[in-house]
Amino acid sequence: MIFREVEDRDLIAKARQGDVEAYNLLVSRWEKRIFNYLLRLVSNREDALDLSQETFLKAYQNLRKLDDPARFSAWLFRIAHNEAFSLLRRRKPESELSEPRPRDFGGRMLPIELSLAVESALKVLSEDQREAVLLKVYQGFKFDEMAEILEIPVSTVKSRLYTALDLLKATLAPAVFRKNGGGAS
Amino acid sequence: MSCKLGDGRPDWKSYALGELDGRVRQEAENHVAACADCQDELAGLRVTLDAMATLREEELPRRIAFVSDKVFEPRWYQKLFLRPAFAAAAVIAAAILVHAFVRPASVPVNSTAPVDTRAIEARVSAEVMARLQSEMATALNAAVTKAVAETEKRDDQRTALLLSATEQRYSDAADFLNKQVTRMYALNTGAGVR
Repeated sequence: MIFREVEDRDLIAKARQGDVEAYNLLVSRWEKRIFNYLLRLVSNREDALDLSQETFLKAYQNLRKLDDPARFSAWLFRIAHNEAFSLLRRRKPESELSEPRPRDFGGRMLPIELSLAVESALKVLSEDQREAVLLKVYQGFKFDEMAEILEIPVSTVKSRLYTALDLLKATLAPAVFRKNGGGAS
Repeated sequence: MSCKLGDGRPDWKSYALGELDGRVRQEAENHVAACADCQDELAGLRVTLDAMATLREEELPRRIAFVSDKVFEPRWYQKLFLRPAFAAAAVIAAAILVHAFVRPASVPVNSTAPVDTRAIEARVSAEVMARLQSEMATALNAAVTKAVAETEKRDDQRTALLLSATEQRYSDAADFLNKQVTRMYALNTGAGVR
């Protein structure tokens, strides 16, 4: 992991000097994570792909403004966050008409069904709560890094995340506890 | 059943999310070993997080391509600054500018006369252009001279090779004729015939 960070720093330094291939390598390393983060936020593959493209374009254009190359991932996700919420704000009137509802996943669930149940449960969360879950659970950022990406206090990060976890637990409970044969409440 | 620590019990969400370290984490683990209420809470969180881990990561429909994208090429001024001739000219221009604005005191200056910045800029531009053209002409001449020399050298080598091959062929033909003539002479004179 440390070795990888050093390599990223090296690539950033080269990209800053106009080395396009170095930047391409950085893109190939981060594109899947950025795409999945954006996909879960905006729930549309084409939009997520366009936003990923925009994210990497803006990152390249502003690479010289990145003060600490060790913070590249948080900085990159900050750009992706801005891109996503810019789109979500434009979409707002449309999305308010169709509030997502949790799907009914009765009976014993296969892993693929559980995966779909999780996907459905994530859509029940607000955009802010969903983003907190995506950054913490799927991208593995620390609370302070999330605060940096979202430009909010750590206390707000925790509040969003804890509320989201309670909602997810309640939404997924019928499915996961049936799958696990009951037990925890 | 409820935890005896009440509101002071460990932050199990932070624990489950890997945000507790060192002593705090150890204290939480010591507590949960003896508290059924906290065991239930932690188990519920773990089951939820395990379920969330089943979410599949999607592949990109297509790679994000930048290699051929023009916006990722260095800008024109970045390319220029990579050229030694331009860099030299830029340094000279900067020196001229500094010289123009920071003149030695011994140079008579009419303090009441307005500074004609346009004329200075024009002079600097002209100087930079002249230097640039001079540098470029020198570089071009050198490149042409080098290319001509290389072409001539290649032509000489090719000619020498052709000449050598022709000489060899001529020598072989002469040898062959010579042998034939000798053989015919020997046949006609009876010499060497047994």
